Parts: sequence; structure tokens; C-alpha cells
Amino acid sequence: MTRRMWTYAGLAAGLVLVVFPFGWTLLASFKPEGEIRRDPPTLLPEQWTLGNYAGLFERTQMDAAFFNSAVVALAAVAGNLLFCSMVGYAFAKLRFRGRNVLFALVLVQLMVPAIVVMIPQFVLIAKFGLVNTFLGIILPTIVTPLGIFLMRQFMADIPDELLHAARVDGAREFRIFFQIVLPLCKPALATLGLITFFTSWNAFIWPAVVAQSEDMYTLPVALAIFSNAQATQYGLLIAGAVVVVAPILVLFLFLQRYFVQSTTFTGLK
Amino acid sequence: MKRFVIGLTALGLLAAACGRDAAGPAEQATDVDLNKASGEVTVWAMGAEGEALGAFAKEFEAANPGVTVKVTPLGWDVAHDKITAAIAGNATPDVSMLGSTWMGEMAKTGALEPTPGNLIDRAAFFPGAWATGEVDGTAYGVPWYVETRAFYYRTDLAEKAGVQAPATWDEVTSFVQALKDRAGAGLGVEQNFKQGSWQEVAPLVWQAGGDIAADGKWTLDTPEMVTALTHYASFFKDGLAATDQPTGAFPQTFVKGEVGAFYSGPWMISTMEKEGGDGFAEKFAVAPYPKGSAGGTSLIGGSNMVVFKNARNREAAWKFLQWLTDPKVQAKWFGQVAALPSVQAAWQEPALTADERVKVFGEQLKDARSAPAVPTWEQVAKVMETEIEKLALGKQTAQEAAKAMQAQAEAIGTGA
Repeated sequence: MTRRMWTYAGLAAGLVLVVFPFGWTLLASFKPEGEIRRDPPTLLPEQWTLGNYAGLFERTQMDAAFFNSAVVALAAVAGNLLFCSMVGYAFAKLRFRGRNVLFALVLVQLMVPAIVVMIPQFVLIAKFGLVNTFLGIILPTIVTPLGIFLMRQFMADIPDELLHAARVDGAREFRIFFQIVLPLCKPALATLGLITFFTSWNAFIWPAVVAQSEDMYTLPVALAIFSNAQATQYGLLIAGAVVVVAPILVLFLFLQRYFVQSTTFTGLK
Repeated sequence: MKRFVIGLTALGLLAAACGRDAAGPAEQATDVDLNKASGEVTVWAMGAEGEALGAFAKEFEAANPGVTVKVTPLGWDVAHDKITAAIAGNATPDVSMLGSTWMGEMAKTGALEPTPGNLIDRAAFFPGAWATGEVDGTAYGVPWYVETRAFYYRTDLAEKAGVQAPATWDEVTSFVQALKDRAGAGLGVEQNFKQGSWQEVAPLVWQAGGDIAADGKWTLDTPEMVTALTHYASFFKDGLAATDQPTGAFPQTFVKGEVGAFYSGPWMISTMEKEGGDGFAEKFAVAPYPKGSAGGTSLIGGSNMVVFKNARNREAAWKFLQWLTDPKVQAKWFGQVAALPSVQAAWQEPALTADERVKVFGEQLKDARSAPAVPTWEQVAKVMETEIEKLALGKQTAQEAAKAMQAQAEAIGTGA
């Protein structure tokens, strides 16, 4: 009994540690600029204000940015779910020449920091004439090596007998993929979808480079206008951070189970 | 992140170098025929300026039918990478704001258009500001607004301690000592020793008669540099400047009177008024840089406006830059975002003569120099910052710091 109490006490302490910064951010978003930076700091706003949120929506095209972020994130999720699982299936279940070499190439890409390929990738996108378009922002993230790796590892555990049985019954490869394999991959797909959504929703440098007019800005890019070497406007930034995090929090409430799974997958597989 | 950015810069330069002819040593400017000005001018601008410029440019549009200005605001965090990528990908806007320390690097890519002499008069600008845009003898773009550093101090504390604003290096030391002993400013003077600390040291080097780079070579290990570093470090050594304060403690420490003085740019006037609340504006003043043996030269910074060679509406773009550097427009722009005019005549306008503290910056600008306009400057600045931090923390002597800076800077080179 006491042991269990200790466990809960430990968990509670951990919870406070994790929740406190977020709680502080949320409360700070309702403080006037001067109070945010006051020393000693206040926890509860002395003066509640919606000024930061009002300023945020007044001074940036937040609604457009929200829409852009949603389009980009959803397209990236759709692309990754479809293409990564297709490629993963090929690597896991089809036998063809050069399979291992190709898979090794995919793994190599995992080890190259994205920032290194950014400039060449931008030059490529510019040559396609896709600068300042949704397609330009989305295309490089539509299939990711991590996604391929994840799907291949998961599909490798699907028994071959199942696929053989389907083939014996006369199913073509596409039918096997969509009707047998994909439904079995739901947990992996959910994981992949969530990871992709986060990465895309939080992506900063690539959308910032490709979007050349304000109406193409995603949320993080629009918010960055407020950070300044000399006079960062913390009130606006913090309110913006809350707006950016809100959808992820909602997602979390609905998909808690998959979140937990996603961490175990990425760790073990 | 910093290392990534440096890597990126290198990559960008490489890509640009492969993609186009490198700019020759004396690139010639072509005249602009303003009668042809028409169409849409796309402009990138950072931070608060970027936010405000779109609305401000309406006046220009009204005066120039057929010309529209489309401003895209960027965050400072991403601006450098974004512009580098745009140059590499041939996807530049017509006009962009550039940090004045980026000019060397960006001009070397060959993407910037030289400033047409028939339109822009270099004599109208502060010489230090004009120098930021001059690379290998060719001027690119125009200085748009400037910043320089000067000495801020608490007037109430100085009065209490019975001292006047210092005019020389020796006086600074006794001034800070007096504030500490007699007016309770326990932390003395605020001297940055982390990111951006090269800005504290560069003016001191010039004031001691030295230089950062000369004749295409780094001159970081000279007796003058050692003098400057010794002066800088003496405040830490004598307990007149603190190294143990948490990040972000300043500027509140100044408001509370724990810090009695600091060196910074004009933006601190409004920051301090905001941080200090009602009545604080009366409690601090600005003085020109205290003089070393060779004078009181300060550092000039700010931003320039450049036109890219790929500009679709070249004439309209230059006309917009000409408008932005008109003295009356510059004074009006100061009223909007408090950016100091780069054009000397603008300082006669009432908007700039009203505040004594602003006027001090105007005077200081006449004696201010820019960081070296070489492509590798940002990297060398990082090196300086690392060595300055070690010096401030007492981990190395001024001689060792100077030697270490020079060795690393030579390894980086000047990108020539």
C-alpha cells in the first residue's frame, strides 16, 4: 500500500514537472506584455487580457496560416500513409533484384540531416517552378525514409502464408495490399500518421524557405515574424504557441492509445 | 543550429558559385531610367520593419500610379537561410532587406545589382553606413536604417554618486566604481560576453587604434586588440561587471538599479521605457562612447535594401529604394518603427531632434564603423564570441584570446 502511494507520489511529481511549463505558457498568454517579463514572475495573471490573441489575429494572417498548416499536414499524412506503406510492402514481402541495396539507400537517407539537402532540394523545387506553392512545400515530405522503415518493419511480421493464401485464391498484388495487408497494419498506420502530422505541423525551415508570400505561410513561419533580435514580442509569441499546440492537444485526447504505441514502435522496431 | 547555419551558408555559396559567374572585382552599375518604372515590386523585409512596411509603402504607390509594392514579412530567424536558398534557386524577390553584416556574403554570390550612381547619392548617407554595402569597391543596394551603440546610464544613480557621464576609458572605470560604491549598483556595468559579444569588443579595438581586418587580412592579434580586450576584461576582473547573472536578468537589473550602465543600440530606449514602466524614462540617459587613445568610434549596424539582378521590375524597384531613402520619408519611417535614418539630412527633421537620447545616437553615427564586409564575417564573429566568453570568465588572458582569435580567423580566411 505505501509502496503504491510512493509510486503515485513520484508520478504526481513527474506530472507537475511536465505540466508546469505548459500551464505557465497558457497562463502567460493571458498576461499583458509587461507582466510576462516581470521579475519576480507571477503565476496567475494579475490582469487578465485577451490582448495577445487579439493582436495575434489582427497582425498576422493567422486564419490563412492555420488553413495552410492544415492542408500541408493532412497532405503529408495522406502521402506518407499511402506511399510509405506501398514501399514498405515491397521491401518486406516482394522479392526483386537489388532489394537490399535499395533498402540500404533508404536507411542512409535517415542518417543525412535534412538541413544538408535543403539548398539542393530548393534548387530542384525552383526548377520545377513550385516555389511558393502548396506542392512545393508538401512534395519533399510526401514519402519519408522513417515512414518506409517503420512500415517495412511492421509488415515483415505479417505471415507470408496469409499472402500465399490470397494469391492462391487469385488475388492480384494490389488487392492483396489494400485488402489484406493494409487492414492488418492499422496500428502502424496510426503511428505513422501521427508522427507525420506532428513533423509537418511543426516544420519550420522548409516551409519558411519555400513560401515566399505571406498568404502561403504556415503557422510556425507566420509566428516567427514576431521573434526579433532586439525586441521579441513574447505576448504574441506565447499566444501563438498556444494556438499551434491546441490542435495537437485535441488530437492527443482522442488518440492517446496510439501515441503510447507510437513511442514503443519507434523505440523497439 | 549555429553550425548548421554556417554549413548552409557555405553550401549556398558553393551552389551560387557553381550556378553563375562570380562577380568581378569592379562590377559596373547601369543607370536606371525612372520613366520606365511600372509593375509590381516584391519586397522581403524582416521583423517589425517587415510588418510595418506594407502599409507604409501605400504612400509610394499613391504617388506612383502603375506601381504596386508587395511586402512579404519574414522572421529574422529564417531570413538568412531563406535568402541564401532563394539566390541559389534563382527565385529571388525584386528587393530585399539584408542585415548590414550579410552584405559581403550576399554580394559575393553575384545576385545583387550594383547601385546605380545616377539615382542614389552616396554622399547623402553616413559614411559608415554606406561602407556596409560596399564590397570590393562596388556598392550594392542602399543603407536603409542604421543602428549604433552608445553608453546608457542611470542618471539618478550618477547624481547620487556625484559623477558625470564618462568621456574616456579611465573615467568609465571610476564612474562604474562610483555607482557601485556610492549608489548601490552592485552589478556595475552590463557587458555582454555571450552571443553578440563581438559588438562590445569591436568599438574598443577601434578606440584603441587597432582594426579587425585590414588589407584583406585579419588583424585580431595586435597590441591594440590586446589593449581593447584588457580594458573589456578589467570590468569583470575588478568585480564591476557580472558573469553570474541568469540569461534574461538584464534589462530588469538596470530597472532595479543593480546595473548602473550598459552599452547598446537605440532600440533600448523604448525597451527600457517599457520595462521600467511609468517615470523610468526620466531615470536614464545616453552618452557617446567614452574615448580610448584613438577616439570614440562606435560600431554601425542596421539594414540595407538591395535589388536583385533577377528583378522583374528593375526600374520600379530602384525607384522604391530612392523613395525609402528620401530624408522626409526616412524621418517618417523613424516615427513608425523607431528605425534610425541612414540619410544624414533626415536628422534635421523635427521627429529626430525631439529626444536628447536619440540625438546622441545621431552624433555617434558620424563616428562609427561597420564590421568587415567579407563573406566569412559571421563565422569569425562566432570565433570572437567564443574567445571573449573564455576571457570574461577568466579562463584565458587577453593575449591568449587575441592569439586564439587570430589563429582561427586565419584558418577561416576572408573568403576572398
